[in-house]
Amino acid sequence: MARKIRDTWGSRLGIIMAVAGSAVGLGNFLRFPVQAAKNGGGAFMIPYFVALLLVGIPLMWVEWSIGRYGGGFEHSTAPGVFHSLWKKNRFIKYFGVIGIFGPLVIMVYYTYIESWTLAYSFFSLTQKYSGILEQSSMQAFLRGFQGLEKNQYFSSIAPAYVFFLITFMINMVVLNYGIRGGIERFCRFAMPTLFIFATILAVRVLTLGAPDLSRPDWNISNGLGYLWNPDLSQLKSAKVWLAATGQIFFTLSVGIGVILTYASYLKKGDDVTLSGLTAVSMNEIAEVILGASIIIPAAFVFFGPMSMGRIANSGAFDLGFVTMPVIFGRMPFSGVFGFLWFGLLFLAGVTSSVSLAQPAIAFLEDEFNISRKRSVLFFGVVTFILCNGAIFFLGKGVVNDLDFWGGTFCLVLFATIEVILFGWVFGINKAWEEAHHGADMRIPGIYKYIIKYVTPIFLLVILGAWFFQEWLPIIRMDNVSSGNKVYILVTRVVLLLLFLGLTVMVKIAWRKRKVKGERS
Amino acid sequence: MTTFGWVFLIVSWVLILGLALFCFMRVFKKKKID
Repeated sequence: MARKIRDTWGSRLGIIMAVAGSAVGLGNFLRFPVQAAKNGGGAFMIPYFVALLLVGIPLMWVEWSIGRYGGGFEHSTAPGVFHSLWKKNRFIKYFGVIGIFGPLVIMVYYTYIESWTLAYSFFSLTQKYSGILEQSSMQAFLRGFQGLEKNQYFSSIAPAYVFFLITFMINMVVLNYGIRGGIERFCRFAMPTLFIFATILAVRVLTLGAPDLSRPDWNISNGLGYLWNPDLSQLKSAKVWLAATGQIFFTLSVGIGVILTYASYLKKGDDVTLSGLTAVSMNEIAEVILGASIIIPAAFVFFGPMSMGRIANSGAFDLGFVTMPVIFGRMPFSGVFGFLWFGLLFLAGVTSSVSLAQPAIAFLEDEFNISRKRSVLFFGVVTFILCNGAIFFLGKGVVNDLDFWGGTFCLVLFATIEVILFGWVFGINKAWEEAHHGADMRIPGIYKYIIKYVTPIFLLVILGAWFFQEWLPIIRMDNVSSGNKVYILVTRVVLLLLFLGLTVMVKIAWRKRKVKGERS
Repeated sequence: MTTFGWVFLIVSWVLILGLALFCFMRVFKKKKID
């Protein structure tokens, strides 16, 4: 069978928007402000910028470089890319399975959460939650919507399921049109729209002043202060440094294999250094400037300093889906601002979820020579089945477990492997030359040492600390209630089977490749 | 917000906006280094 012509990016701005779209997600607007407020306020920015310079930006350059390098061998996913980097090693391709498995696992629960944002955008326009002005009632609204309880707002999970189906289909349609016609085209529309929505919301929040005249201290300046006033004593805590590093991982989408896949569609002479840094800068604007200016300051001026501890500790989802709708309900034009908020989260979600799906689809296309449409169909059927577990067993802790394995463990492990491969196995001098091929910007020389020594040590310390502190409690499910243990166990068995299935597929693909090579 | 809070906010914003400005100016210049 003749090999297909590989898809490519239509423009440089297109891939920058797509990578930034992959990075800008729900975490920029929900997770970052909470992490900053809980971990030292302004002081959190010190470990945050250190982690950005020592882990985030180097990993971004590593993924862009190895992705483009692997693309030159017609590999778009980590098994093939790792094999291209270390041809003599027979086993390295199996480590690359993490770069397909991790994004796939995240995609399974992320699409469902993304569908809530679509539903709430609709509810904002139709004023379904407009009369709810108390957090406890809004919490009941969310639980009813999620199917966790039957109440006056929802009698079943059906509405949530319908919005999930619509969201899932939107993702599949974008993916079906491929890199240039689907992902790039969608991101070129979605990213500017998302930034416009976020800017309008940030300006609205920053001009709120003190909405309750009887409480002049509940003003926007003090709201910003809640997030930015530095508590420098927190810098002594290892927890704060780990939280900042974790946030950098989550926010940049590095260490999971999606940027590697996107970069594989670049041409050999395309720049990676400046494009990678530009995508980082877009993500940071969305996170530190826009993300930090909406949710925490708005919550402060409406609920006051005494409630902020409870609100910040309620978790990112409660902040986004409970606190924010209540805040909008207390503002004029609540429907419009609610729509802008959930609309921006939805766009941020879709640009991220299509990037999470792309490695598995590219794997089928590249290694099994299956057409784009058939690959999307196969991927869609498998993912759809798995998503149902996340939907119907949400209350059993399944999503949290998927998030741990896909979104935390695989992330750090994969990042460690790829940076060691790039700096040590491929060789830092060759790697440096590869990164600068066709470059529009020279990377500062100090990064040669950062990529070779500092980033891997940083990652190994995090991985080691995790093994030391959390390995056993997580495996033993110490923090899982006895009623939920069976659900978590089944989830883990399914994940293990999925990982083994992907490993077997890699073995089959390479065997086919070998037979084909011997014949020709 | 304290003076220190404003300093942290302004320095963070300037660093990020400066990085974005630097990057986008070069992206649109399309000048290769080699």
